[in-house]
Amino acid sequence: MQAEASQISDNDLLKAIARGDETALAGCYDRYRLILFGLILRILHDRHEAEDVLQEVFLQVWRRAKDFDESRGRAFTWLVTIARSRALDRLRASGSRARLADGIEQEPRESIGYAAQDALKSEEGAMVRRALAELPEEQRRTLLMAYFEGLTQTEIAARLGDPLGTVKTRMRSGLMKLRELLRDSRG
Amino acid sequence: MMTHTDYQELLAAYALDAIDPADRQALSEHLADCVQCRDELSALRDTTGLLSHAAAPQEPGEHVRAQILAQVRAETRRETPAQVVNMPQRTRTAWPNMLRLAAAIAFIALLAGVIVLWRRDARMQAEMAQLSRQLDAQQGEMKSSRDLMARQQEALALMNSAVATRIQLNGMPAAPNARATLMFDKQTGRAVLLTDGLPATSADKAYEVWFIPKGRSPMPGKVFTVDSSGHAMIMERMPPEAMDGAVIAITVEPKNGSAAPTGAIHLASPAS
Repeated sequence: MQAEASQISDNDLLKAIARGDETALAGCYDRYRLILFGLILRILHDRHEAEDVLQEVFLQVWRRAKDFDESRGRAFTWLVTIARSRALDRLRASGSRARLADGIEQEPRESIGYAAQDALKSEEGAMVRRALAELPEEQRRTLLMAYFEGLTQTEIAARLGDPLGTVKTRMRSGLMKLRELLRDSRG
Repeated sequence: MMTHTDYQELLAAYALDAIDPADRQALSEHLADCVQCRDELSALRDTTGLLSHAAAPQEPGEHVRAQILAQVRAETRRETPAQVVNMPQRTRTAWPNMLRLAAAIAFIALLAGVIVLWRRDARMQAEMAQLSRQLDAQQGEMKSSRDLMARQQEALALMNSAVATRIQLNGMPAAPNARATLMFDKQTGRAVLLTDGLPATSADKAYEVWFIPKGRSPMPGKVFTVDSSGHAMIMERMPPEAMDGAVIAITVEPKNGSAAPTGAIHLASPAS
């Protein structure tokens, strides 16, 4: 089943899920669980909560696959956006309970084998990480704080003690530069 | 007044969901009228999505896949009435007759394999252990062994059911170390509540369960006390109004219970 599933494009996988195909949902889980769980865990720092949220995410995928519109963006974007949103919702719902990084998520190492994962995704991941490394540190930091901690520009400015205008510029320049770098590397 | 350049400069923050609320409102209105900005936003959202690759891929527990698929199948079954398994009707007699008891025993035996799988989950393990302890502790307290068996089968069936809804209750300032889990079946309303870490009440008091549907006053549930190790297992019936989005709470009340909450809240589920 796994071999067949990996031949299907992301868009077709979502279409099948929208038709109520449970095998397609399982295929989507097998293809994306590592990335989505990694993302959720990086936001929540708690394995049990992250597993709960991962379940919520796939239930939402199951219920809302029919709303995915491939003309509005990539399936990958749709999936990670759901995961990030649910994780940030959970983060905010838990109030100000201190969350300490427990060291279980490290900086991604290229040596991690992505056995069940689509080869293209791991290539894309490596490209993105290389591109991020090329950004000026302040831009990279701004993007990562916004993405993984769910902070607004004002909150980031307050946290870093920098002017709001500076943060706005870094966020914009950082995201645009990242897009440029990735566009170039895709050719 | 914002210029078009101002709006464009906010698109990155909007894509990242990091835009301040006042700016969001203004940009949102602009986007309704500007195709150029909508296209730019779409591209920036794709770039934003790629930031997920900055997190190290991680493997979730093996049970997650099965739980998702079980829940999805249960939803499919619920939505296609012709295929729904014949669930027991909610009748006035709370406990199953001997025939259904025998069926329940067979059902539990069949689930042995599932229990093995679920044991891998540490939380589930702790709850199963607690259930065993509770059942042992209550051996001497039950009036009839048939009652006890019925409660055991029901509790185990609920805990192993992929269909059961779980609500976590957290300790309040009156009992910060307490926690509880309520599991119930939406079809039948049958529920089991497991509590942990509740201090023993004085002789003239007991704990009472409350169901608080949105915007309504608390509905009284069972009155109970904890055993010598601070645990309780309570078989409950969910009122229909409380099955969706209600808060569940536990307070201390006079030992025969109260029609409305009077004592300190010891446990409560989060408001949805």
